[in-house]
Amino acid sequence: MSGQGKWMSWRAVEYVTVAFEVLGSIALGLVVAAGMLAGLGYDPIRGISLLLTGGLRNPDYLLSRATFIMMTGLAFAIPMLAGFFNIGGEGQMYLGGLMALLTAVYLRNGLLAILVGGLAGALLGLIISALRIYRGVNEVVTAIMLNLVLYYLIVYLITVELYDPVAPHESIKVPAEARLGVIYLAGNRLHLIFFVALALVILAYFLLYYTKLGYEIRVSGLSPRSARYAGIDLNRVAMTSMFIGGFFAGVGGALNVVGFMYYIDSLLTCMHGMGFTGIGVALMGRNNPVGVILASIFFSMLILGGSRMQMLMRVPKEVADALSGVIIIALSLPYAYRILMSYIRTRRLMKVGAGQPG
Amino acid sequence: MELGSLASIFVIALSPMVPLLLGAVGEIITERSGVVNIGIEGILLLSALTAAVVSFFTGNVLLALLVGVATGVVLGAFHGIISVYLRGDQIVAGVGLNLLAYGLAVTSLFKIWSVFGASPPVPTMPKWVVAGHGISPMVPISVAIAVVAWFVLFRTNLGLKLRACGEDPRAAEAMGVNVMRTRLLATMLGSALMGLGGAYLSVDWVGQFSREITAGRGFIALANVAFSGWNPLIAVIGAFVFGFFDALAIYLIIGAQPTLSYVFKTIPYLGTLAVVVVFRGRGKAPAALAKPYIKE
Amino acid sequence: MPDAPLAVEMKGITKIYPDGVVALRGVDLTVRKGEIHGLLGENGAGKTTLMRILYGEIRPTQGTVRIFGRPVKFRGPWDAMREGIFMVYQHFSLISSFTVLENLVLAASSMAKAKAEEVEEQAKEVMEELGLKVPLDARVETLAVGVQQKVEILKALMRNARILILDEPTSVLTPTEAEELMKLLKRLKEVGITIIFITHKLREAKAITDTITVLRKGRVVGVVKTATVEEADLARMMVGREVVLRLAKKERVRPGDVVLRVEGLWVRDDRGLPAVKGVTLELREGEIIGIVGVAGNGQKELVEAIAGIRPVERGRVLYLGDDITGLPPSTVYKRGIAYIPDSRAVGLVLDLDVIYNSVLTRLASFLGRGGRVLWGRARAFSSKVVREFGVVISSLRTPVKYLSGGNQQRLMVGREVAAHPKVIIAFEPTHGLDVAATEYIRSLLLRLRDEGKAILLVSTDLDEILQLSDRVAVMYEGEVIAVGRPEEFTLEELGLLMGGVRCQGRASG
Repeated sequence: MSGQGKWMSWRAVEYVTVAFEVLGSIALGLVVAAGMLAGLGYDPIRGISLLLTGGLRNPDYLLSRATFIMMTGLAFAIPMLAGFFNIGGEGQMYLGGLMALLTAVYLRNGLLAILVGGLAGALLGLIISALRIYRGVNEVVTAIMLNLVLYYLIVYLITVELYDPVAPHESIKVPAEARLGVIYLAGNRLHLIFFVALALVILAYFLLYYTKLGYEIRVSGLSPRSARYAGIDLNRVAMTSMFIGGFFAGVGGALNVVGFMYYIDSLLTCMHGMGFTGIGVALMGRNNPVGVILASIFFSMLILGGSRMQMLMRVPKEVADALSGVIIIALSLPYAYRILMSYIRTRRLMKVGAGQPG
Repeated sequence: MELGSLASIFVIALSPMVPLLLGAVGEIITERSGVVNIGIEGILLLSALTAAVVSFFTGNVLLALLVGVATGVVLGAFHGIISVYLRGDQIVAGVGLNLLAYGLAVTSLFKIWSVFGASPPVPTMPKWVVAGHGISPMVPISVAIAVVAWFVLFRTNLGLKLRACGEDPRAAEAMGVNVMRTRLLATMLGSALMGLGGAYLSVDWVGQFSREITAGRGFIALANVAFSGWNPLIAVIGAFVFGFFDALAIYLIIGAQPTLSYVFKTIPYLGTLAVVVVFRGRGKAPAALAKPYIKE
Repeated sequence: MPDAPLAVEMKGITKIYPDGVVALRGVDLTVRKGEIHGLLGENGAGKTTLMRILYGEIRPTQGTVRIFGRPVKFRGPWDAMREGIFMVYQHFSLISSFTVLENLVLAASSMAKAKAEEVEEQAKEVMEELGLKVPLDARVETLAVGVQQKVEILKALMRNARILILDEPTSVLTPTEAEELMKLLKRLKEVGITIIFITHKLREAKAITDTITVLRKGRVVGVVKTATVEEADLARMMVGREVVLRLAKKERVRPGDVVLRVEGLWVRDDRGLPAVKGVTLELREGEIIGIVGVAGNGQKELVEAIAGIRPVERGRVLYLGDDITGLPPSTVYKRGIAYIPDSRAVGLVLDLDVIYNSVLTRLASFLGRGGRVLWGRARAFSSKVVREFGVVISSLRTPVKYLSGGNQQRLMVGREVAAHPKVIIAFEPTHGLDVAATEYIRSLLLRLRDEGKAILLVSTDLDEILQLSDRVAVMYEGEVIAVGRPEEFTLEELGLLMGGVRCQGRASG
């Protein structure tokens, strides 16, 4: 997909390439989903159209759902820009949600709850990266183990300690004064959290493109050798980016609890899976905050479409998961080489920096 | 805990050991050739499904196992082509594979049996009875597979060529090895073993298919790969250790109140974490792991 | 010997790369069976390219190749290997974590079914016959480089090599290992193996070869019988007698104070081996010191250590009297030392735009409160750099990878110079540039010198060094083996020094 001749400016080429990659992966995903539906005996056309349009019926719900995966999308995107894989978004989100719930209930302050939730997630992110840098532990394994541990622990806590006596399958509720509610915009009902998320994405944008840290993150991810030449400490950048990524995932969970559901259900279905969807969001959004916003709305559309499809056609909404999976695989391809090479080089340079045998 | 129960746990541990071992040995073969496949979880899940389906409808357990293996091979070919020939990002592709497999499996589960959670019981393999527990013949078979894998990897020319691809593909190519083809075949072989492990889950151990049947074991197998230093023999020990945590959880859950079971369920994962953090860096990863080979 | 059949006959070999670079021009090479033929020349003379054509890795644009009288057209190294041609590179084709025997078995099994015992037998026979000794059960990575090289040679011999090509084989060896290699090669010659020996080291070429073909800038300068020439003759042929275009250089103002001083510096390379062995140098205001030497003799490690990118094992770096050893690069740059690396992929982030790249090394001076990047200031600075140094761009926001090499270099150099450093380290500043860009950079460096900057110029281009330097230092195997004013050396002497031959009466330092 290199320039088609000197008449096409580089900018146009890049935009066309990105559009091709994104649309191509979506198309591929839809084809596979249609095939799956047909193969299992369902009506593929109806299924696909429901998947794509089902989410549009309720814009408020659509955008609220998008909020959470916007956050988990940033959680993957920012470390990825620095050359680090954050697959721990799920666990960071769960913990963020839990800590937000506790803060909201006991300290009665919604904004504080969001902050605490974010910090909890950030701490997890820091742990994962520190284990990788200083103990050489594979961050995929660490992240997934933490995801699973936190899932069960939090389920336990909700079921046994934090349940609502009136509705035992739900946790205690967030008190009214700590809730982030809804606003009405031109006659439309919208949850406040969407705007909070937008604000955070703008903050992330600012961070990445207007601060020293953002500069260092981008250089480290694109050219670790240049980073070394410029005197940028790759280990420090990796850990900081994981701290920030975890923060966003934690905030995602907190926003869910304090601004949408106002409780956590005992099986965590309200949050389950959004960490991984966030990976798809980040990939489709090309790790760019603006792209992440658009991609999160798209994926939200898919998820809600899946629920609608399940309701009307009795097809499990997990078809949407399969679709997401194909999109992720498709998006792993063209960009892959460049990301991978810098990832590998970053790891090698990081090892040398931490004093381990290269 | 009395000695009798401890011995019980050791025996119980043999069951979860099988998928952890097969998954790890399969991934060792794959990674030794230079490819990372973190889609183990998804392969286990989908193979468990296909094996359960075949067993349910035909009653032929052996056929079910074979279908499970075949499922693994197909998925492995898929991942292999993406990783080796299309030079996709292997970790991202693995994440996508897991998601895709999950979606496929749950959807199919519903379509076939009209349930969202667990299928009805399916015919399973006959067992031997040891110390009051049923032990499947797959236990010694999987250990045998690990031994054979070790032998082939470290004592044959074939294994030499495969390992060369993972250490220094440029040098291997210079010495006449077809690196890309070897990597693809290694990935497919590795996934075949993972498929066997998945089939074992539904058709041998648990006796049904459920969406939680894998419970993160694919990732624990991944931890076992690093723990074993990419050596199938040590993977046997690792699989037993990680299986022990699994069994401990099962044992505690059986005896305890239902709510506490959630806490016990974390034991395998906490145990895995503890092991990988404490036993850091045994052995070196293949030097060219996860790097796509580009012929100059 | 004179009547021995021709093992290799390359006629009229020309190689032109797609981007227009002419690597070889009508080169003829004739090698007789059983002789040791030396291929001599500087970096970039075309020696390796020629051999890669012989080995089948590259296709010639024009020309023919005959092996033992038969015309051949190789599509890849495997074709060459079937004819019995094997190449031993500087970086070996060995799997370092495998044992020697495993590597031999691997190599053997690619051609036919091989059993480990048979391979071991055969290996022992060959070793016996040639007096080679290699521990078969040791892992390659534990072996000394010289031994690894023997394994490479053994590997080739066991596959019935008739012609052996060695590319700068002693560049990775200690003097003792080099001696052993020479002995081995003589033994190989005795059993009738033809050897082509690529080198830039005159002493070796003289010591071991029967015939030498000298290449310079892609052409054959001469073919001589080793016994009939002296090292000085070879040096002259290698380095050429062309008139070196000298830019008008103002008579040097009396150099000022010492700004940079390197004392007894020891630095290790990426493999952990000592690359810089006790270098001591002084750099004064208004002076250009040119460090000349063949690539790989420690220059990169030296400049990286001064810049703070690479750790210093022993010794000190003093700047304006302060000890800056071990300080991080950002601090070093801020204090007034500028480092222009030899690779634009390192000195620039190719995927980022001009503005981003302009502030890469001195980001701290473009920060506002709380770590905010002052893009306005950065933009103004990059505008200034682009204007003053003639960087041709369509927009400041163009990713740098779309710029031509010359413009990239101008940007990289300009950004460093515009920060008004006192010391400039220029590492291969004109590498890969066209004539116009090269002249620009060179006159720029002279102008900077006249303004009182201290410049450390590191280059493998002898012309460049001679044109620009006020003092010249020759670096060989991690040491500075000679220092002096360029007028004090003859071309032959420099050629000899670069090849490692130390002259009488030249004190270093």
